[in-house]
Amino acid sequence: MNAPAPPFARFAFSFLLIAALPCALAASATPAGAATPAAAAAAAAPPCEACHGAHGEGMAAAHVPRIAGQSADYLKKQLDDYAAGTRDNPIMANFAKALSQQQRAKFAARYAAMSARYIPQVKPPIAVHLARGHQLAFQGDEAKRVQACNACHGPDGVGVPHAAPYLAGQSAEFLASALKAFKDGTRKNDAGELMRSVAERLDDADIAAVTGYFASVDLSTH
Amino acid sequence: MAQRLKEVDVVVIGVGMVGSIVAKELAAAGYKVVGLERGQTRFTVPEFQSPAVHDELRFDIRKALMQDNTREPVTFRNQGAQVALPVRRWESFLPGTGLGGSMVHWNGQTYRFQATDFQLATRTRERYGKNFLDPDVTIQDWGVTYDDLEPHYDRFEYLLGTSGKAGNIKGRIQAGGDPHESPRSRDYPTPPQKEHFQGAMFRKAAGSLGYHPFPQPSSNLSQPYTNPEGVKLNACVFCGFCERYACEHYAKSVPQTVILPVLLANPNFELRTGCQVQRINLDSTKKHATGVTYIDAVGRVFEQPASLVITSTFAINNIRMLLLSGIGKPYDPATGHGVVGRNYAYQTMSTVASFFDEDVIVNPFMASGASGTLINDFAGDNFDHSGLGFIGGAYIGAVNTNGRPIQYHPVPPGTPAWGKGWKQAVVKHYNHTVMFSCHGSSVSQRQNYCDLDPTYRDAWGQPVLRITFDFPPNDIKMAAYVTAKAVEIGKAMGAKQVVGSPRKGPYTVTQYQTTHNTGGTVMGDDPKTSVVNRYLQSWDVPNVFVIGASNYPQNATWNPTGTLGALTYWAIDALKNKYLKSPGRLVSA
Repeated sequence: MNAPAPPFARFAFSFLLIAALPCALAASATPAGAATPAAAAAAAAPPCEACHGAHGEGMAAAHVPRIAGQSADYLKKQLDDYAAGTRDNPIMANFAKALSQQQRAKFAARYAAMSARYIPQVKPPIAVHLARGHQLAFQGDEAKRVQACNACHGPDGVGVPHAAPYLAGQSAEFLASALKAFKDGTRKNDAGELMRSVAERLDDADIAAVTGYFASVDLSTH
Repeated sequence: MAQRLKEVDVVVIGVGMVGSIVAKELAAAGYKVVGLERGQTRFTVPEFQSPAVHDELRFDIRKALMQDNTREPVTFRNQGAQVALPVRRWESFLPGTGLGGSMVHWNGQTYRFQATDFQLATRTRERYGKNFLDPDVTIQDWGVTYDDLEPHYDRFEYLLGTSGKAGNIKGRIQAGGDPHESPRSRDYPTPPQKEHFQGAMFRKAAGSLGYHPFPQPSSNLSQPYTNPEGVKLNACVFCGFCERYACEHYAKSVPQTVILPVLLANPNFELRTGCQVQRINLDSTKKHATGVTYIDAVGRVFEQPASLVITSTFAINNIRMLLLSGIGKPYDPATGHGVVGRNYAYQTMSTVASFFDEDVIVNPFMASGASGTLINDFAGDNFDHSGLGFIGGAYIGAVNTNGRPIQYHPVPPGTPAWGKGWKQAVVKHYNHTVMFSCHGSSVSQRQNYCDLDPTYRDAWGQPVLRITFDFPPNDIKMAAYVTAKAVEIGKAMGAKQVVGSPRKGPYTVTQYQTTHNTGGTVMGDDPKTSVVNRYLQSWDVPNVFVIGASNYPQNATWNPTGTLGALTYWAIDALKNKYLKSPGRLVSA
């Protein structure tokens, strides 16, 4: 489903500027150094790739999501929501606030057009967790009154642009932190509390199972 | 030979909306209750999950959730002089089967009737004189008033979590709601759903003509909601698959999402599915029921003795259950005597299509079953009928529920019915057409009734139900009048072409109209013209209660489910606080 990756060199970004950005953004520190978000935006360079990767592949270990091929509408909404505070992340909030509406749309479109190779998990889930994750993804759980993830996120979590992001091939660490953020209310940018309604009924084992499952799905084989 | 089972306090026939609520209340009050459901056990997970549940061919065209009419059909004819034939493919109306009943595939449109509706005969006489109506019209009062039912409407709406905007709270008109509604004690439990584009266009046009648009009351919820039973529902995602489908999101209020989790957790209740009830058994006096006889899914025959029998099946099946059991005198249209099967009525549905240029994009697929905007200015008795020659009316609304690809393709008159010309027209108009519904009342009439078919039998050898129905002239006149008003609204929206299709006779059973079959076991104050008294208790067999839209003496303007929910709680109140304390007749005949 992904468009072929545009040539890397197509984007006029400053390597130095990127290099100056802190890498471990997941540790919720304010970006330090010479490159302020505003400066990054002003230079029209993608400050995103220090963490999200040159191809938008993300940084699993640091809970940074893969954003390559995610729909532009979805990405743009996330930037808007970081700026508005309905999605809580100080690093992303700083970046988003510094960007104009036009710039947000531009970055969103750029990553929507990218594709990145599938990155296998360092520690794949064991079979029993995969099975539980598959059940939640495809079927849901009546006892917990949780519907199938795929009902909104598309067959095998491939995403339903523009409404629901893909989950397939996403980092398990990121997905788990997103579910926990919905659950504890620090992320509240879901229409009708749709994700909160689901997340609040999942326990830690469910979250590990379902996020491990989706991380194991290699979209390039779909 | 039937195997006789251990006696229970209550047997409930049909575990749909009514059956679930009644069983839950009586089991919670300490009575041993058995629920007999002919269909299968089914839940949101796994049975209702997508992508399987969004299979339009399976559910929309092949009617997968409906009563199996290869085993249990109905027969139909327009007039008594015709030979009725079996309905082999459900089209005009869609009775469901299985745990949760027909409510599983409803749209969630949750209206109340108005005070006038419950005293229709009296009010019509008072306002328009006693000779106003066609003498064949057999409308009558319900035996209950709106004020009797108000607390029960309220309870039902709070069970469902209905999303809406009140128009009249305790007599005070509320801006943005329906000013014509009868007073409610408080607002809806959740705010209205988001308005779709067609609704917004309708609201502006109807408002510009001086009408009173308001958001459709919806039991596809606008936000998460925990009901008084402690069951939590989710917000609707506007997927466009309500009617004819089950909801995979726990967002549509159906027994599975509002009450079954509580009912099934009560050890006083036992659910038996795959059980086809053959009849309610009577003792030798024929005035007392001893229980029911049913056949299970593998063909074993059981007798389930019970002190109290409640039939809570789909409207037309309630009629049949009484006829098969010999409870109440069957109606004879030749003499006008008898009551069971009498006053069968329906709903009079008309449509208006407003065609726009391609710069007006309506996205019809972005909808829930009840996310529209409508007016009640031409509903019920909200306008003066003097000189019009009919009673009743219709709500007019942009209440389209979907844009599904197989079923939804509005095209203007003159379009070829197939081929390239048709395809081009579908592409051209799909996303640029606003559909209105004129959802109209239905008077009962002497010639319209149900009885047992003399020829056709079901898979268990029992006579099937025969429906004899055609649109009363009263309703055809009403449809013409209200549809013309709706066309004016379409023109006020600025449509390029507005096409009104007022309902005309004869009634056809081969075109979908609505699943709002009513009457046949009507309630009332007089045993000569009603099957059950005002508490829905059989006049003839006091330990049988009949609860369904079959209780309606005629059908009002609105979708019947809200009123059925109110009647259910009304009857439960009488059961718990009157009948079960002292079994016997609640009203002397």
